[in-house]
Amino acid sequence: MPRWGMVIDLKRCIGCNACTVACKQENTTPDGILWTKVVSEEIGIYPNVTRAYIPLICNHCEDAPCERVCPTKATYHTDDGIVLVDEKKCIGCGACVTACPYKNRIKLHKEQLQRGLFKIGVLTPFEKQGYPRFVAGTALKCTFCHERVANGLDPACVVTCPTEARVFGNLDDPSSKVRRLIQARKGYQPLSHLNTRPKVFYVE
Amino acid sequence: MKDRPVQNSVKPGRWVPSTCKMCLHSCSTLVHVTEEGVVNKVEGNPTNPSNNGKLCPKGNCAIMRLYDPHRIKTPLKRTKPRKGPNDDPGWVPISWDEAFEIVARELKKTLEEDPRKLLPAINDFQKLFLWAWPAAFGGNANYFTVVGTYCGGGYHPMNGIVHSTFAAANDYDYCEYWINAGGGDGFSSHLHVASQNYYMAKARVERGMRVIQVEPRLSIGGAKADEWIPIKPATDRHFALGLCHVIVRERLYDVEFLKRDTNAVYLVGPDGYFVRRGSDGKVLVWDPVDNKAKAWDDPTIKDFALEGSYQVEGVKARPAFQVFKDILKDATPEKVSSITDIPASTIERIATEFAKAAKIGATIKVEGRTLPLRPAAFNYYRGAQGHKYGSMTNHAFKLVNMLVGNIDAPGGHIGVTLDDQTEDAGHVWPGEDGMLKPMPHQLHPEIPFAYPPNTTHLMDYFPLGVDPGHLNNLTLFEPEKFGFDFYPDTMLICHSNPLWNMNGNQERYFEIMRRMRFIVAIDILFNESNVWADVILPTLDTLESWNMTMIEPPNTEGMCLRQPVINPLYDCKSEEEIFWEISERIGILDQWNEIVNFVCGFYKKPELMLQPGKKYTDRDIAERKGLLWNGKPLEWYMKHGHSVTKRQPKKWYRPWEGMRLHFYIEYILQRRDELKRKMEEAKVPFRNEWYWDDYQALPDMRLDPVHSEPPEYDMYAITFKDVQVNFSENLSIPWIDDIVHKDPVHMGILINTGTARKKGIEEGDLIQVISPYGKLTGLARLTEGVHPQTVAISNAITKWVDFHSVIRPGGGNFNRLLPADLKNTDANSGQMETVAKVKVVKLRSRPENAAEVLKQYRFVS
Repeated sequence: MPRWGMVIDLKRCIGCNACTVACKQENTTPDGILWTKVVSEEIGIYPNVTRAYIPLICNHCEDAPCERVCPTKATYHTDDGIVLVDEKKCIGCGACVTACPYKNRIKLHKEQLQRGLFKIGVLTPFEKQGYPRFVAGTALKCTFCHERVANGLDPACVVTCPTEARVFGNLDDPSSKVRRLIQARKGYQPLSHLNTRPKVFYVE
Repeated sequence: MKDRPVQNSVKPGRWVPSTCKMCLHSCSTLVHVTEEGVVNKVEGNPTNPSNNGKLCPKGNCAIMRLYDPHRIKTPLKRTKPRKGPNDDPGWVPISWDEAFEIVARELKKTLEEDPRKLLPAINDFQKLFLWAWPAAFGGNANYFTVVGTYCGGGYHPMNGIVHSTFAAANDYDYCEYWINAGGGDGFSSHLHVASQNYYMAKARVERGMRVIQVEPRLSIGGAKADEWIPIKPATDRHFALGLCHVIVRERLYDVEFLKRDTNAVYLVGPDGYFVRRGSDGKVLVWDPVDNKAKAWDDPTIKDFALEGSYQVEGVKARPAFQVFKDILKDATPEKVSSITDIPASTIERIATEFAKAAKIGATIKVEGRTLPLRPAAFNYYRGAQGHKYGSMTNHAFKLVNMLVGNIDAPGGHIGVTLDDQTEDAGHVWPGEDGMLKPMPHQLHPEIPFAYPPNTTHLMDYFPLGVDPGHLNNLTLFEPEKFGFDFYPDTMLICHSNPLWNMNGNQERYFEIMRRMRFIVAIDILFNESNVWADVILPTLDTLESWNMTMIEPPNTEGMCLRQPVINPLYDCKSEEEIFWEISERIGILDQWNEIVNFVCGFYKKPELMLQPGKKYTDRDIAERKGLLWNGKPLEWYMKHGHSVTKRQPKKWYRPWEGMRLHFYIEYILQRRDELKRKMEEAKVPFRNEWYWDDYQALPDMRLDPVHSEPPEYDMYAITFKDVQVNFSENLSIPWIDDIVHKDPVHMGILINTGTARKKGIEEGDLIQVISPYGKLTGLARLTEGVHPQTVAISNAITKWVDFHSVIRPGGGNFNRLLPADLKNTDANSGQMETVAKVKVVKLRSRPENAAEVLKQYRFVS
């Protein structure tokens, strides 16, 4: 059984957000919901200044605080290490939203499903075919595109990335590209001191 | 239920290969359609070596255009005659038949009265042949838009002269030292973004290519570069000349290249022209071994002099290189530093690093050819080149490259064609005196001189330029002065937003629109311009229509098919159907077919030629373009999606081998003097006001007029786009809104923190940017990433529409800050100045209701 993980190459990332949009497209996430995004931060004082682009995504932590606090076990780990939510079990208590130190859990409100992406209360055929997966009032999260992965495909954000800043693979396979990248370029995990053991690594 | 997939790309359905149209370029896509017939995913097609299966954020948004509820769903007719930016047109749906009847009646009237009375703004870049439709309309050559000019008025003709191409790019495969000046290649904008970002990242990360970004604002490229060099706006040419100064002074240039592959050795006389032998008119060079002048092709030449001054044919003559060297005396790093704000030591260092990285003398074998390897190149685009002296500016950038011999060399700076049309077509031709034939007109054939003028934007007087559409803002208000014997009263807008894209006075543009007897617009969504129309004809979406194209692919070539993936959602038609129908109804069908044969190159394979009396569809044209490229039928393209391959090295690298490149552009002087003579003969009344000094065979250090605005305008204003919004208008897309309006650089007017503090401006304050020509208002966003004397304004905050639920109107349009006059237009290239001199005024502290407050300032000019 693989243990899926991702390496994000900050040197390659140009902050274009193709990943952000590809995710919205793949998952029909409602208005205001971003399962991945890129934030930017200006660093330095003119003229010695630069801007960092940092893609953010659910880290699918081995020891996921969102899973730990979930009172109904709606948040769970799949056998291949992906953290998912069973919306039938989710009671929308929001504990996961509070617990996630990375702010990657988000609650879906009915209004977001109703107003539609164009914010005029009209749902496009694209939204209509995609929204049945969502239950208002439950907490959502990135699924590592588990269905694509089950079909042998990389996640949507990975395949679209023009600079190949995202690499997806099996963290348990020493010859996988993710493992080699982590080793060669000293990959690190976000907020590693919290011991959540993220399966998303960053290299610079 | 549980087994039914929830992710779009794995739901039951089919994948259709097609082509993206979210910008003007053409990335190959795979489009997923569900069993129920809903388009639910667009991905890159990995078989295309241009975009390699990737898509930029815009390409990921195609579905949001298709299903935009605001799409124009049926032909519309205006019922309220009052026209203004806030006036309700009172649209009512009409049938196609009625729409065609009205449009044909009105256009026919214009055609019969005087075809020059039509102002066209046709800007569908993926159907470039449509731009030529006005030519079928009685030879109309007007241009009411600045697409092509704003970003590349100076750029395209200079590429045409130097490379015989439309665009240019550095060579991603071998370059090791890449200077990006005022352009986003490889990071945020320009050619085939998803493709070039891919190749750039590979070069940077896998080969360690060094990137130096020179620009007033820290763009994405600046942020990712090894070094960001902030520069004062509109001084890019001076920076380039500073680099040339150091390269020449330190003798770091490629002597062999200059002597063998350029006209830098041709002798220039005191009149600026080459010195020609009296007996046969051949251009002379100086042989320093035999110590005498010889014809450029004399087989006894032992060496070519690059430097010195000689008495030849009774005049004092200098090799073109020496002429440039003399100009460069004025371009010391200290002087350049005082103009650009770049430290002299930085100019010295970059010039030296660049020339050394070019590895002059190195060679590489590509497909059996031994070629110079020059892995250092200077790339640039709109921001750097878009100035009054656009032609000279572009020339200066080319000269940086020429000095190190990297033109069209592996690793160097390479010409990019617009569209080769056929797989085996070349794009270079021999010109006079051993030189490459200059091809400045890459978009349409030259418009012949005429007085009275036949075009409202004076294209009759730009023998080297790209259409300066903004001059409509000048000429239509002084028609007597410019000698017009007609006045336009009809407009055709097709996938264009001229009121947004053109520079110049807002009220004048509104007035031009009001003066039109009839406006027809062909588009998919409303925009600031087409809402002035009398009739709107709605077009199909990319995912509902056919096309075949490949626009400006840097390192690839081929054709990309767009095919319908679903039936049309609404009562819309393809552009082809619309234009052919109108052509038939107004009686210009045969002329139009002939023009398409010429523009699309169908005459090269006579069996593909359109026949008189016949109408053609989008599918017909797509099919022919595919057959023209590689002889493959449409069915082949429908299966494969494209015929794109890596660009053939024989076309990509030095296709002009054996010809000399224009280091010194005597051709500009020839065309200047020809124009001068014609203007004199025709006694053109404004001939003495024409800016004859703009035509130079070599660039020099003069300052663009923008720097001489009154001193109270103490700052510069620039505009910019990033990858999310470049080369198209996508602010109506919710997903683009998601990413643009979360990015601080697109959320206000960028002003340097230190400067803002000095002016008492805090983050979020409402500020007004005032130029001598116009104003715009916005919220101050303080940043360290902008030159202290510069405010930078994202294209994303300059919309003023109210009729789309996603578009956020801003506090005015950047282009209103710019003049539209001859003084700030390059008489040579048509390029307008794209930098404004401004003052920045604080209006009030952080307003809570910013959107409302901005609204009241929107039409302040």
